[in-house]
This record gives sequence, C-alpha cells and structure tokens, in this order.
Amino acid sequence: MAALVTVVLPGDEIPRSSLPTPTGKKKTLTLGPGLRHIPPDTITTTIAGALTTDNKKNAIWVDTNSGRYIPAVGDLVIATIQNSVFESFNCLLTPNTPFASLPQLAFEGATRKTRPVLAPHSLVYARVVSNGQHTSPEITCVDPSTGKSEGLGPLKSGMIFNVSLGMARRLLLKSKGEVIVLELIGAKVGFEITVGRNGIVHVDGANVKTILAVGRAIQEVDEQALGEKGQKKLAERVLKSL
Amino acid sequence: MPREVEISIIEREFIQNALQEGIRRDGREFDAFRPLELNFGDEYGVADVQLGKTRVIVRISVDVVAPPPERKFDGVFQIVTEFSPMASPAFEVGRPTDAEVILSRVLEKAIRRSNALDTESLCIIAGLKCFALRADVHIVDHDGGLIDASCIAVMAALQHFRRPDVIVEGEKATVLSTRERDPIPLSILHQPLSVTFSYYEEGNLFLVDADLAEEQVRQGEIIITMNRHGEICQVNKYGGAPVEPLDLLNLNNVALQKVKDISKFIQQKLDEDAKKRDAGGLMAELSAENAR
Repeated sequence: MAALVTVVLPGDEIPRSSLPTPTGKKKTLTLGPGLRHIPPDTITTTIAGALTTDNKKNAIWVDTNSGRYIPAVGDLVIATIQNSVFESFNCLLTPNTPFASLPQLAFEGATRKTRPVLAPHSLVYARVVSNGQHTSPEITCVDPSTGKSEGLGPLKSGMIFNVSLGMARRLLLKSKGEVIVLELIGAKVGFEITVGRNGIVHVDGANVKTILAVGRAIQEVDEQALGEKGQKKLAERVLKSL
Repeated sequence: MPREVEISIIEREFIQNALQEGIRRDGREFDAFRPLELNFGDEYGVADVQLGKTRVIVRISVDVVAPPPERKFDGVFQIVTEFSPMASPAFEVGRPTDAEVILSRVLEKAIRRSNALDTESLCIIAGLKCFALRADVHIVDHDGGLIDASCIAVMAALQHFRRPDVIVEGEKATVLSTRERDPIPLSILHQPLSVTFSYYEEGNLFLVDADLAEEQVRQGEIIITMNRHGEICQVNKYGGAPVEPLDLLNLNNVALQKVKDISKFIQQKLDEDAKKRDAGGLMAELSAENAR
C-alpha cells in the first residue's frame, strides 16, 4: 500500500504526478476498478475512494468499500447452490442478484457419468470465469488449465460470516491487508478460513467456540475498523475466552 | 413470488450444534434481547426503533373524519404495515408475504383489540366528527424479531404523539393549531408489548428475540403480548412442534420481566425527549430574547 493516501471523488482527473513510477518490467500502465481512460492522455475517476498505486505492477486503482458485490473475472467467491437446472447449478453470490451458473462438469474429476451431487443451499468455493454485461455470471470449481480443484469445491462444515467487501478484499491480499488478528489467534489455536470476494468468510475449526470466536473477531475488526493496537487487544481477549 | 433466501446447510447445522452446546451465534444469553435503540423524530409521533440490525420506523398521523355509523362514539384507529423491498430481497410492494400478514394480525390483536388506545377519547362530536388515527409501520431493515420491534415502535410512537386540541360549539368544531394551544397526548389505557420465543429441539430450548438466521432454523414460535402489570393480551402459536403447558407458564414469567424492562426503557426515552423539547414554559417561548 502506498504510504500517502489521496482521496478522489467521481470525475476527478488524476494528475501525472500521482501515477505509479514503474520499477518492474511492465511498462504499460494498468488501470484498476474505478478509473477510466479518456484518449489521448486523461485519466478520470468514476467512483469515490482512496487512490492506490502499485509501482511493481505499474497499476493504479481506486480502493473503496462498496456495498454491492459486482462479480469480476478471476474473483474467488463463496456461492450458495439454489437448484440444479439441466447441466448446471444455479448459485447465488448475494441474495439480491440474479443466479450465477456453475456447470456440473466444472468440478475436479467430474465426467458425464460421475457428476457431483450437491443439495440445495450447500456452499461452494468457486472462481468467477465470465461476467458479461447482459449474461449471468459463470463460476467454476476447477482450474481449466490443469483440471485440478486448486482448493476450490464444496464447503463441508464450519460456519460462514458476512463481512464488508473491503474487508474480504483485505483478507485476500498477500499482505493480509493489515489484519493481524488472525495470525495472533492462529498462533495458539488451529482454524481454517476461506474468503469469498462477495463478502463471505467461511471459518472451520475444531469446535463451535473456536469457529465463533474467529468469525466474530473478523467481523469486529471490520465493523469497528480496528488498527494494529485494537487487533492485538482483541486477539488477547479472544484467546482468554477460549 | 420472491421467497426469503434460505440460509445454507452448514449454517443451519452450525446454529443447531451451537445451541446444543448452549451457545448463540452472536454470543447472547438465551433470554437476552439484542441492543435496543429508540429515537424520536422532530415531529410528534415518529419513533425509530433499532433492535440489532432490524429497524422499524412508525409514524402516527391524524385526520378528522365522520365516524362509522355503527360506532358513533368512537374514533378510528388503524395500523398499516409496509415492508420496504429495501429491507430484504424477499419483500415486494403489493404482495404481502406470510410474515407481513402475521405481523399485521398480531399488531391488530396486540394493540388495537386489547384497547391500548382509548378510541372513545378520539370522538369530537358523536356521530358527526372524530379523529382518525393512523399508525404507519415501516420495516426498513429486516434481521428477525419484526413483531417485537414493531410492537415497541408503535407503542412508543403512540405515547409520543400529541393530537391537536379542538373547540366544540354546538355542531361546529374548530381544530386549533399547535401554535394556538398545546397539543394533547393520547389517552393510553395500557402498554402492551410482544415477546417472541423461538423454540428448538422439540420445545426443549427457548430463545428470546431470534435473529433472521435463528428464525429460519426454529421449529416454531410463541408470541406473548402483555403489559407491564402482567396482563396477557394474547398468546399466539402458529403451528410448529408441540410445547409442554408448563413451559408456557415459564415463558410468561420471562416475558413479564422483558416487558417490564422494555417499558422502563421506553419511558426513560420519552422523558429524555420531553426534557429536550421543553423550552422552559410559555414565557420563555414568547420572550423576544435570543441566545446571541
């Protein structure tokens, strides 16, 4: 993350000075969500948020905590199976949006003879493959190039917790987006989390108490916007209660 | 018809397992309400209740109409519920869901038919003119416990509301504006409040104020409406697994305690609001001095 945060509003022009200075091999500038290129060389914003740059990847985007999840290709999501139609499952990414389709063959080792049987309202961890403007999004539980699941597939036990979209994105970042509470708790008790970009976190652990403690800790960090100090205090409190 | 989005299988199993171990999803006690908040609007008769994430706004309005011929000495009082599609994807305008029908029936029984409001006091001239009071219940956010929250909101709004004063001369009635004469509070006979109990494990486990996920897992619910003197207005049980009679008596005791607490809370909020509105009497209001 950039040390200095600039807040932008929709329609702002991005000055040349705030563009990233490429340090990696990539020379072309990548525009992320919330930015728009108007030829020849104007870049304007379409949403409000914090302007973020990544010098290594030569990328620039607007970081915002939006309320509605819009599927983007490559996103990891936790989807709820609603029903099975013809050769695919209808899934919900959020309760308020139309179904996403998950082909029955998009599972590891699935063939026409051995299809996965998933009951309605079961959960799957999946990746968004396509999302056209006028078509429903398609998701998959298998990496198309290797045919392996790569960790995707049905979620069996545990519990899910709703978090904000910004929090889900932070958890998925390599640096964990400054969420240290999980590491602090994880040093003492074992648990497993799965994060969907659609604002759902799945937690699995040894017992009910652990799962609830971890899930609620994540929600608390999200709702109260806890910093490093607050998270340390929270982790201590959680560990004491376990 | 849009249906309530059901929770997933693993959530259902987890909530049941946790309840068996005596743990609720949000760490509450079995007989605890979620944090309750109550705010009043700038106008009289607007109450905004937040019960956890559930939010209900009630607005009371008044009009002068001719009373129905069969009830000449009564005013008119009606409660109208409206579920905003903003609250839940399952709600749609013009198509009441089961929850909406049950809510309006329960409110009707709890508040209107238990005579919480003295409708005779709304009569202006017998057979000719009366006040028509209308309580609009807006569900703005839905996370379970709608009945309890709505009941609190309606009762708080009724107690907060002030109707304009009237002068009757023969057959002529003049409604005075709030500037001419201070508006009058409604005459409320008692304050019924509802407590919903959700039960699990064939009626062996009772929860107070279940949230939306817990509501979806429950085997049935019992709605008890009573006032703080322990007078029961209704006991409702819409199907579900059978319950021991003795449990029902225990629930009444729990409900009474909850109703007492909530009544006290509403009264405290009303007092705070009254203090805020009190400008220091008529003389202070008429004074030309201002705080410059």
